[in-house]
Amino acid sequence: MSSITEISNKINESTIEIFTGMVMMDISIAGEPLTKLSPLKQSITGMVGLAGVFRGVLAVHFPKQVALDVTGSFLGMEVEEINADVQDAIGEIANMLGGNLKTILSDRGKDIQLSLPSTISGDEYTFTSQAEVDQIILPFQAPGGVFYVELELER
Amino acid sequence: MELDKSIINATLEVFASMIFIDIAPEILSEGGPKAIEANLSSLIGLAGDLKGILAIQCPAEVAMGITGAMLGMEVTELGEDVKDAIGEIANMVAGGLKETLTATGKNIELAIPTTVIGKSIRISGLSGATRVLVPFSSPIGRFGVELSFISS
Repeated sequence: MSSITEISNKINESTIEIFTGMVMMDISIAGEPLTKLSPLKQSITGMVGLAGVFRGVLAVHFPKQVALDVTGSFLGMEVEEINADVQDAIGEIANMLGGNLKTILSDRGKDIQLSLPSTISGDEYTFTSQAEVDQIILPFQAPGGVFYVELELER
Repeated sequence: MELDKSIINATLEVFASMIFIDIAPEILSEGGPKAIEANLSSLIGLAGDLKGILAIQCPAEVAMGITGAMLGMEVTELGEDVKDAIGEIANMVAGGLKETLTATGKNIELAIPTTVIGKSIRISGLSGATRVLVPFSSPIGRFGVELSFISS
């Protein structure tokens, strides 16, 4: 497996590629990777599990406004509330990031399988995994605010 | 396949062998799942022949009560111990489900558990997924075990 830094760089590239090519939104890297996230407020998280040779979780945490913008741009429709369309769009973004991550971690993505994506939303919440994991948290700047891509990988 | 029965059996087994609290599944109504107001959800992804996500959803006092029973000590905050305990329960219930599915020829692999702690948290699968929610009652309160899945 590549080093954490290499994986981080590839996730950065892959996130920008998905946003530019699929979501049609310009985003940029918003600084250095973080070691810890503050509680997420008025947010929605898309997540997908990784199973097989590598076990882990890929999550993308959006503040509400960014999630609405992303859904609007991705689906080409205006959305004002976190509804089923937003949940599906954010889940699909986690799924696409997870799909790319498979090929980042393993040659052509074999031996790694993705779970069903799901979303978490709420007024304020923290998102943590169980003990022994390597964690990567990457911040991105979207027009409507900062969002985070997080990878937790079992050691 | 009757996944709700598998979820019930796997959950009962984990509680009977590790937590020693009497729990009982509530009768499932046809009117759709009743939401559990949760302050803590532990989730684990399932991949393979059945793609899904399993979640254990607990109000704060139930999460602390279960953790206290499991660890044999009093637990008064929604912290590391609770996160680890409920995450482990998610892991074991998913493991039980995996065993049942393997016996029917469906192979699944598990991801790792993650835990969300907060106020009014809402977990949703994709709109195309099938959702099974089993509420359980216990002396310390109600909690839910939910599976969203797509069968391939």
